Amino acid sequence: MSEPDVFAALANPTRRAVLRLLLERGEQPVHRLAEHFAMRRPSLSEHLRVLKEAGLVVEQPVGRQRLYSLRPEPLREVVDWLTPYERFWRDRLTRLREVLAEVPDE
Amino acid sequence: MSDTIAVDEFLPHPPATVWRALTDSDLLARWLMPNDFVPEVGRRFTFRTDPRPGQEFDGTVHCEVLDLDPPRLLRWAWRGGRLDTVVTWTLVAEGRGTRLFLEHAGFDPDDPIQRRTRDLLAGGWRSHVLARLRETLRTP
Repeated sequence: MSEPDVFAALANPTRRAVLRLLLERGEQPVHRLAEHFAMRRPSLSEHLRVLKEAGLVVEQPVGRQRLYSLRPEPLREVVDWLTPYERFWRDRLTRLREVLAEVPDE
Repeated sequence: MSDTIAVDEFLPHPPATVWRALTDSDLLARWLMPNDFVPEVGRRFTFRTDPRPGQEFDGTVHCEVLDLDPPRLLRWAWRGGRLDTVVTWTLVAEGRGTRLFLEHAGFDPDDPIQRRTRDLLAGGWRSHVLARLRETLRTP
């Protein structure tokens, strides 16, 4: 189940800010990202770990540093949730399933 | 160019039963919306729901039966608010049940909601979109 991970990852403002930075500036080493936040490095690394586990960022070792970049694919799932009519139909189909359970088959 | 929503669902009932749930006005009201549907090509009917003034929608969906091929295909014109769209139901027997395909076509890609979705993917990252996302998660 990747979906809840994506939602949980996006629920935090620091992690959203990290994604925005990667979106706007492309791949970044962790010390560059750290310049934007008042928190200590281990806290930021923890946020990066959550993003990585949600599949939203990838980490690539280059020389002695690690570059982080955005991986937008999981966001497509999120966008599905944002399309109100898609949600509407999914809800209604769930209700259809419930109604059918009470109707004798022909 | 227009945008389409496609959703499908496996239902553990034969197509004839699923067809009834799609074409019997009372059953339709139980899972979709109150309506005055009559299964006849060319027939106009309405669904009634809550108005959404923010979307210029007064709560009435004006429909018309465009196609009817029991128990395989049902197509409605679906108009309301800013929408002028077509809903197509396709039933395909699958094992002991039915796979029901829904296609809702004709969304205007320039509609603000569609545009917001595209902006998100294209890079316009907005906190109000994410706030809505969290609301969605709280809805059971």
